[in-house]
Amino acid sequence: MDETTLQVYSGLIALATALLVFVARIWRRRAQRRIAGLERLPAWTGRAIETNRPLHLSFGSAGIGGDNTPLALAGAELFHQIIEGAEAGDAPPMMSMSEAMSLPLAQDTARRAWKRGDHLARLRWLPSGRRSLAFAAALTDTARNEEPAAHVLAGSFGPELALILDSAERRGQPSLAASDQLAGQAVAFALADEALIGEELFAAPAYVSDDRRAGSDAVVMDLWRAFVIIGVTIALLLQFSQLMPEYNWPVLAGIGAVLLILGLVGYRRS
Amino acid sequence: MKDDFSWLDDERPLERSPASSGARRGLRRFLPRLSRLPRLRRRLRARADKASAPDSAAAILEGRSDRPVEELDNRLRALRERSFGEQPSGAEAPGALFDVDEVLVTPEFQRKPGGVISAVALSKAQERQVELLKDIVGGSLDASDEGDGGRPRLSPRFSLSAFIRLALSALLVLVVALPFVSSDYAVGDLTASEERPALTSMYDLLDDLEKAEHVLVALEYGPTAAGELDALTELLLRHIVAHSAKPIIVSGNPIALVHAQNIIRKINRSVAAFALDLEANQDYYLLRYLPGEALGLRELSENFADVARVSAKGELTGLEVSALEDMSLILLIAESAEDMRLWAEQVLPETEDARLLVATGYSAEPLAAAYADSLDEVVGLVVGFRDAYIYGEKLAIAYGAPSQSQRESTVDSAPAGESPDPQGAAQLPTVTAQSTPTSLPTATAPPTLRPSPTLPLPTATPPPTATPLPTATSEPVLYVEVTADQFINIRREPTTAADILALASEGDRFETLGKNDDGSWYNILLPDGVEAWIASFLVEELWIAAGDDSASASAPRQQTLMRLEFPLRLGKNQPRFYQAQASGAGDHPEFVLNRDRKGETSRLEAMTLGALASVLIIVFGNLVSALRAFGMRRSAGPAK
Amino acid sequence: MNFGQRLGIALSAFVAFAVGAIAVTSLLLGDNPAIFNNQPGSERAAELLALPGDVLLRLVVIVISLSVVIGIANLLYVHVGRVARGKVYSGALLASFGVAIFWHLTRQGDPSLLEAVQLPIESSLAALLFVSLVAGASRVMQKRADVWGLLFVAVVVLVLLASVPLAELAPLRAWRDWLMRVPVSAGARAFLLGIAMATVVTGQRVLLGQDRSYRG
Repeated sequence: MDETTLQVYSGLIALATALLVFVARIWRRRAQRRIAGLERLPAWTGRAIETNRPLHLSFGSAGIGGDNTPLALAGAELFHQIIEGAEAGDAPPMMSMSEAMSLPLAQDTARRAWKRGDHLARLRWLPSGRRSLAFAAALTDTARNEEPAAHVLAGSFGPELALILDSAERRGQPSLAASDQLAGQAVAFALADEALIGEELFAAPAYVSDDRRAGSDAVVMDLWRAFVIIGVTIALLLQFSQLMPEYNWPVLAGIGAVLLILGLVGYRRS
Repeated sequence: MKDDFSWLDDERPLERSPASSGARRGLRRFLPRLSRLPRLRRRLRARADKASAPDSAAAILEGRSDRPVEELDNRLRALRERSFGEQPSGAEAPGALFDVDEVLVTPEFQRKPGGVISAVALSKAQERQVELLKDIVGGSLDASDEGDGGRPRLSPRFSLSAFIRLALSALLVLVVALPFVSSDYAVGDLTASEERPALTSMYDLLDDLEKAEHVLVALEYGPTAAGELDALTELLLRHIVAHSAKPIIVSGNPIALVHAQNIIRKINRSVAAFALDLEANQDYYLLRYLPGEALGLRELSENFADVARVSAKGELTGLEVSALEDMSLILLIAESAEDMRLWAEQVLPETEDARLLVATGYSAEPLAAAYADSLDEVVGLVVGFRDAYIYGEKLAIAYGAPSQSQRESTVDSAPAGESPDPQGAAQLPTVTAQSTPTSLPTATAPPTLRPSPTLPLPTATPPPTATPLPTATSEPVLYVEVTADQFINIRREPTTAADILALASEGDRFETLGKNDDGSWYNILLPDGVEAWIASFLVEELWIAAGDDSASASAPRQQTLMRLEFPLRLGKNQPRFYQAQASGAGDHPEFVLNRDRKGETSRLEAMTLGALASVLIIVFGNLVSALRAFGMRRSAGPAK
Repeated sequence: MNFGQRLGIALSAFVAFAVGAIAVTSLLLGDNPAIFNNQPGSERAAELLALPGDVLLRLVVIVISLSVVIGIANLLYVHVGRVARGKVYSGALLASFGVAIFWHLTRQGDPSLLEAVQLPIESSLAALLFVSLVAGASRVMQKRADVWGLLFVAVVVLVLLASVPLAELAPLRAWRDWLMRVPVSAGARAFLLGIAMATVVTGQRVLLGQDRSYRG
């Protein structure tokens, strides 16, 4: 693919997304699918309020300026909603990050959502790195000292997530984890009480807030995913038809339709 | 706040209303409801109004909306305001508890900054009341101060599961430590893992490096991954500099840059005896730190000449490269697959058919392998310490083991020289006449023979044909020469059930360390320093004087030795082998040959044992959990 | 919300939108003369178009490099406060911070502190991670006693066993290779696609001024 084609495609995708965002806004929010991992969040918030313990929210190594800027922003949005829900309590949430650039973001989030107290003292930064074990180890100390009501780890984590989740598990603190790294994702699935898979973290703000705009983002992501799946399926069928010319197009269309229906059924069930 | 939480708490999601049929539901999901569009603005406005009123925690939890504030009576309204952190305004405040205000005076709390309840300081009046309360209840108020600030504990400090955990961790640590303590715990064929094509192509590309060619080396790992990746880094750097190629080291991790200096220092220390020294900005380049992950790489790819101008220490490098296109080979050593993705996305498109070689750890392997499969530019991939070991073996074999090459200056026709005298290495005669195999006495060894620690050396008796030469200064070494006219097996242990390490053909000679008890096997030393065994009826003994230059022309025909790529067990796989290359590849083989390989084997054995132990623990733990879950389901079943 | 706050929000949203739009346009279309039909002067035009994006990105790099100062300030702020409350570990942290700076200044950047302290500590932590991972993997069925949990454990065991260099386990290697090449690779790609898609949508939201930080 030459540069111009790439530019045209990128531009088209950007425009289509912008268009979809506006279209999706007029959809009903129930077009969203269920994300099981988020359903226990309100209960944890309630627990934090009732037990007078803080919530621990962590960005991991997601930060502004790097390639995972959108991840940091999505995490901040989710944290904002969670903190707002927990604001009736007395223990202000604590936020941790290993990327210094997400410090201002975290402080801003905390300040907007939790309107009292000293926010800076509740932020924990520890030196960064792709796999910041020092950061993870320090958070195990947090799990012991501060006894958070729950850990919400939404950001960029590698396998070091195991240290944090393991210590939370030992102390009976529930945890929700989501990471944009494959290794972190696998660890989250194995060790966290709830795990968000893939882009679910980006859609999460829409599920814990009443914000219509965030909801439309989730719908747009679902739409894009549907497009990608349909595109991949069609490409696969075309490839298949080249390999086996005896399968003519009605058969392929039939297979495609069956796949599509299966996909829809799976989507409804999820 | 209302809708989302009620939606979350509702066991039946809204869209599953029983009235609508499945097909209609599907349609409604994917098509906007056009008929409702006119009402949209009104709905939006109503919603926005509602959203501005914050709901209480109870409302959030129960998924209900609060009663409108206007409907509340004064007392509840005041309470509500207090709960949202707003100070009740003036006169209303005392009236909040109007029934009891007169009887119960509530002193003001002095709040410390931070607003945390735990940080509340008691006033004098409150302290007096606490004392009074203590008197009434008999001082038991203090009990709540035990533990952490009197908060209820979620989990006990010690439990059976904690004990099991501790025991399993101790078991793991013990198992992993065993191979470092004793060689009895050596498990597994250390090099039995597959040599993947990606490793071979990486080796070949680095082996084809020209003198003074530049290789861009990206070190993208921190101290955390040093244990896993340092061995690979050192090995690959040694391979590069052995060809007098020049690595240009870049990193987006400042610690990696400092660490790279230490690795190079270590390499320099190992070759100091050969008057070799890698000099910064001459034999290698350590470029300045690239901040900002993707942005740093973007800068590297777009302004490479700029980046290459300054070294990590702020000096001018004097490097004469104009653009990244000059680089034909990029070696990326990364701990995370994200780094590989960044390099593949940001840097590769800016180069002209540069090839990317990747060295990474086990956790990054799945994604790295996917990238390596799908991108043509990614030609080599080595993963973790095991690949480092295989690569090191390959390198050592190709360059020839150092001690071996010194020992091999031998006499071709030098037959057995023996000394009847157990004392004299110095007086040992060298023999000029070749002895016939039949004339060789069986099981003879002079005391100068290096004793193998595990083998009792047979007693030596001199052959009658030996004529001592008083001028000889070098000690003779016992060799065995293969006499069978076909490939014969060289094995790990003196038994035909043992692994085959290599194949040898007629005329191959091996330095001999000794024999087994019944004399049916010789313990030999392969050219790369590995000890092995060969059946005695297929070979004959030879005494060769070491250090005799005049005889070096007829050195043993080591080239025909077929070294197996991996030791294999018989009957399990088809053996594959390659021809060992002649030693001396590269300009400075010393860089490769003087690598400290101490402990590598133990590490691999520890990894093997650790993996086995963790498989056991994982299977056992999950079995117990699954059985417990199954049992609970069964016991819960009849109750329903 | 008073007028000043509204103005602030409007201004920050405008700045974000303007900078974002310029950067996206410049990065997307810049540096490619082909979009100007390769007319005379199109090289120059393409360079000009790429310039704002480049400048903005360089600014970002500078800001990121300086961000570590914010981090250190936060670290000191938090831990000085904790030391005042008698936390020993925070005291140790501050002391080692001071020692490291003193070491660096007096020994001209001698990296032996890195080699002798940080490397062993972080390597030990990595080893601890192994224990944590094994402990976690042995409890998967406790959390997810369903078919997915079973699948996860089966794959973990298979991959671990296949990595063990024992000839008896050699047949597992073919399975592992297939697993890595087909399902794992497919899953990894799907994961990347999902993240990329979400990144585009989130970026769009920021550009359209919908981000929380502009809305107060």
